[in-house]
Amino acid sequence: MIRLLIILSIALIPYATLAQEYNTKDWATRGIDIPEVPVYGERPMKDIGTQQTRLDTIALKENIALSMADVLTFNTSIFVKSYGRATLSTVSFRGTSPSHTQVSWNGMKINNPMLGMTDFSMIPSYFIDDASLLHGTSSVNETGGGLGGAIKLSTKPAQEQGFGLQYIQGIGSFKTFDEFLRLTYGNDNWQVSTRLVYSSSPNEYKYRNHDKKENIYDEDMNIIDQYYPVEYNRSGSYKDFHILQEAYYNTGRGDRFGLNAWYINSNRELAMLTVDYGDEDDFDNRQRENTFRGVLSWDHLRDSWKMSAKGGYIYTWMAYDYKRDVGNGTMAHMTRSRSRINTIYGQVDGEYYIGNKWLFTANISLYQHIVESEDKNIVRQDGNKAIVGYRKGRPELSGSLSAKWRPIDRLGLSIVIREEMFGEEWTPIIPALFLDGVLSKRGNIIAKASLSRNYRFPTLNDLYFLPGGNPDLKKESGWTYDAGISFAVGKEGIYSLSGSATWFESFIKDWIIWLPTTKGFFSPDNIKDVHAYGIEVKADLNVAITKELQLGLNGTFSWTPSINEGEPRTPADQSVGKQLPYVPELSSTITGRLTWRSWSFLYKWCYYSERYTMSSNDISLTGKLPEYFMSNISLEKGFSFRWADISLKGVINNLFNEEYLSVLSRPMPGINFEIFLGITPKW
Amino acid sequence: MRCVRMALVAMLLALCSCMKWEYGLEESFDTSASGEGLFICNEGNFQYGNATLSYYDPTTKSVQNEVFYRANAMKLGDVAQSMTIHNDIGWVVVNNSHVVFAIDINTFKEVGRITNLTSPRYIHFISDEKAYITQIWDNRIFIVNPKRYEVTGYIEIPNMTMEQGSTEQMVQYGKYLYVNCWSYQNRIIKIDTETDQVVDELVVGIQPTSLVMDCNNKLWTVTDGGYEGSPYGHEAPSLYRIDAESFTIEQQFKFNFGDWPSEVQLNGTKDKIYWLNDDVWEMDVTADRVPVRPFLPYNGTLYYGLTVCPRTGDVYIADAIDYVQQGMVYRYSKDRELLDSFYVGIIPGAFCWK
Repeated sequence: MIRLLIILSIALIPYATLAQEYNTKDWATRGIDIPEVPVYGERPMKDIGTQQTRLDTIALKENIALSMADVLTFNTSIFVKSYGRATLSTVSFRGTSPSHTQVSWNGMKINNPMLGMTDFSMIPSYFIDDASLLHGTSSVNETGGGLGGAIKLSTKPAQEQGFGLQYIQGIGSFKTFDEFLRLTYGNDNWQVSTRLVYSSSPNEYKYRNHDKKENIYDEDMNIIDQYYPVEYNRSGSYKDFHILQEAYYNTGRGDRFGLNAWYINSNRELAMLTVDYGDEDDFDNRQRENTFRGVLSWDHLRDSWKMSAKGGYIYTWMAYDYKRDVGNGTMAHMTRSRSRINTIYGQVDGEYYIGNKWLFTANISLYQHIVESEDKNIVRQDGNKAIVGYRKGRPELSGSLSAKWRPIDRLGLSIVIREEMFGEEWTPIIPALFLDGVLSKRGNIIAKASLSRNYRFPTLNDLYFLPGGNPDLKKESGWTYDAGISFAVGKEGIYSLSGSATWFESFIKDWIIWLPTTKGFFSPDNIKDVHAYGIEVKADLNVAITKELQLGLNGTFSWTPSINEGEPRTPADQSVGKQLPYVPELSSTITGRLTWRSWSFLYKWCYYSERYTMSSNDISLTGKLPEYFMSNISLEKGFSFRWADISLKGVINNLFNEEYLSVLSRPMPGINFEIFLGITPKW
Repeated sequence: MRCVRMALVAMLLALCSCMKWEYGLEESFDTSASGEGLFICNEGNFQYGNATLSYYDPTTKSVQNEVFYRANAMKLGDVAQSMTIHNDIGWVVVNNSHVVFAIDINTFKEVGRITNLTSPRYIHFISDEKAYITQIWDNRIFIVNPKRYEVTGYIEIPNMTMEQGSTEQMVQYGKYLYVNCWSYQNRIIKIDTETDQVVDELVVGIQPTSLVMDCNNKLWTVTDGGYEGSPYGHEAPSLYRIDAESFTIEQQFKFNFGDWPSEVQLNGTKDKIYWLNDDVWEMDVTADRVPVRPFLPYNGTLYYGLTVCPRTGDVYIADAIDYVQQGMVYRYSKDRELLDSFYVGIIPGAFCWK
């Protein structure tokens, strides 16, 4: 029946391409001459020895309703731990924790300085024009602290001439509405863009709850029957609004200026667990966020050197409210926590080429965080009111120097030296070495290797959160190296095939973990030493089967054991030598795209192996997270009229209607649908 | 060609494979013959819904884990806080699931449940038809009818806000019930169980964590002293002996600043108290000072829960290890001899004797 529905849905949903067209001419680089990234042949000096995954525009712009969490899930080897639809989604890069992945937006780090991590469900993929993953060591080129790696997100000028408008409306299951609007204006010097995204849904998807039973009682309150109830995802609604304003000015003489300003207003309920017997009307469990991120940039480009400066500001206000109906509809606060973050940012970068054999780079960045955390309002013993929380400021300075040398076409060497200061504490010198070499020009077979030391400082909550913060925490430290091989072959206009395989190994000491205490709160400590290692494989195939029929296949595979190698915490500790909980050993993704004329069909699939929920890797009846397979499809069709381009698109998520959990007690939606209608007027 | 077809079929199967969210299978238990038994409430990890109930037979030294799930084919819930037995029914308080399950203590089968709770911590029976359930983040104690599994009323605690609400363990002396108020609190309250009103309160130190009553009708509570930086205060914790009749402090035993005592328990004859403070401590209820040497010295184990067998005096201590794996329970004789040890569930925090 479900299959029939799927087939009917596909047949009934005509659909069109929404992918934004970009001019082939690169507006940003007009009038200057900087090294380009070719498919074959010469490798850019800046990327010597780096392990990098670049997400293409098709993956990023595939669906306005997608967050970066969805894009990373289906297009990379990163494990995304999602607590549900439009809820917290964090990443595990090479078997590390979410705070081991450094995330930047237009060059500015956006990791929450209190928590260390980034919530990727809060980043609409339609706001990102360029995304790159820097695996392990490669992150040292950009920043410190990326023990797992770094993710670079950025926007680009729309490269329009004159006025442009694009509007897309999405309507989906569970009363989901997604709207996207982009207004652009461009001429030879200016590119201006305004983007808006608004997503909302009561998010009340239906599922059969396997974790609880409903009782049927007789008059004497004896249970006479029980059943697994069909429930709705309770208290999971969301309303997310994003606006992104960009303005770029290019002098045409090697200077360009940019302004990026992104405002987020989010209001999300925190969905009830499968084992929650509370009445949803009795509780209000909600998280709200207002965030502004702004970056001003100046790039000064010359034939042999480049300089850029950036300044930025981040303001985040987050509120968590947990309320209880105490009768008569009066909702009283059980928890009322607030946090405010102000971050000022500045960065200067320089690059200097000597011929085509040497490149020297220098970089310095400064972040000044000022945070306020209010976790609870209390009445003190003397009867006065007080707030449980903290206020702290911390400067974070990071600087690097690098020399990149290509003595011969086939060989590249790079050395990076970085140092960081958080508060008053400095890291030792962070060295990173990179090497690459062309083994065969015929198949573009390139071998790469890199080695680095790295450190990550505790977050502000790790140090100061009340209750539980531990000011005596040490910074985490790690050694990592990787080595890999890649190839790329093809025939222009007929096919292209590329692939890579990389071995990596990391040793992380003093891993910080929050644990409960006998006082009823959690507190962090440097608990674990972790040995993470494994293999990452990527492959990409594009074939023009006929002139109008094209096939694209993209796949990733990762094997990432992440092993606790610390000392046993107590004599009974069974966790030593075991995989870290909630980190899958195996993960894989496949994306297949078939395009014919103005039709396009996309199949996305991802897989995570079983995740342990206990550090001892015991599998209990109540702690099972079996392997995870997910399939999504979409079909789109574009219509081109004289007055506008119209697009129609249909999406089916969870194609096989799996009943599954990504995290314990967090049910995920079954099969669900969304239709998108897009219009791009021709002025 | 055949190989290609097989590969295609295998690929298709891989793409379609299910990640099952499994249903449980009901198992039959009957422990009525064994007599004595010990229930262990394993809290599980907050927000992960992996609390479990274990059952230990001291005679055969055998343990059964996840008995609630196995008997009922459903999960116990999120943060199993405590368990109380009344009339052969076990009442398991599951804090963040907002529920108290009633189970048959021999078969572990659910016989009913009380819902509509805020954040339940402990249950105390006043009679067969009336019980109190304490809460955290609520300034009310819920009055329930255990026979009808329904909330029948509330006791509002004076001078306590909802956000700072915390009522914990309950001990009854005559018609009066005593309750320690813990989180950002410093007092023991006295409730008249006939009128369901708070009639008195006694200020002790910062954050009294547990409450018991010995053979001489003396209440014992231990404070944790708060924590560094707390706006409520941070002080050296203390153990208090309180006369239940006069509701006055008889004696205060001060610990060192920075100590974290917890889990005051009594033996079967209620003439010795035990508590955790890195080591396991034992003291006569009539003693004037805390012993110099612990009952069981710290040996690298992170003690989290404690109980004493009312019949044999054996001391059971729970080790939560790293809080994300099966905890270990150690059983010592009253002569400090290790008799047994067994793995239970995640974060074993509370015990209940059958």
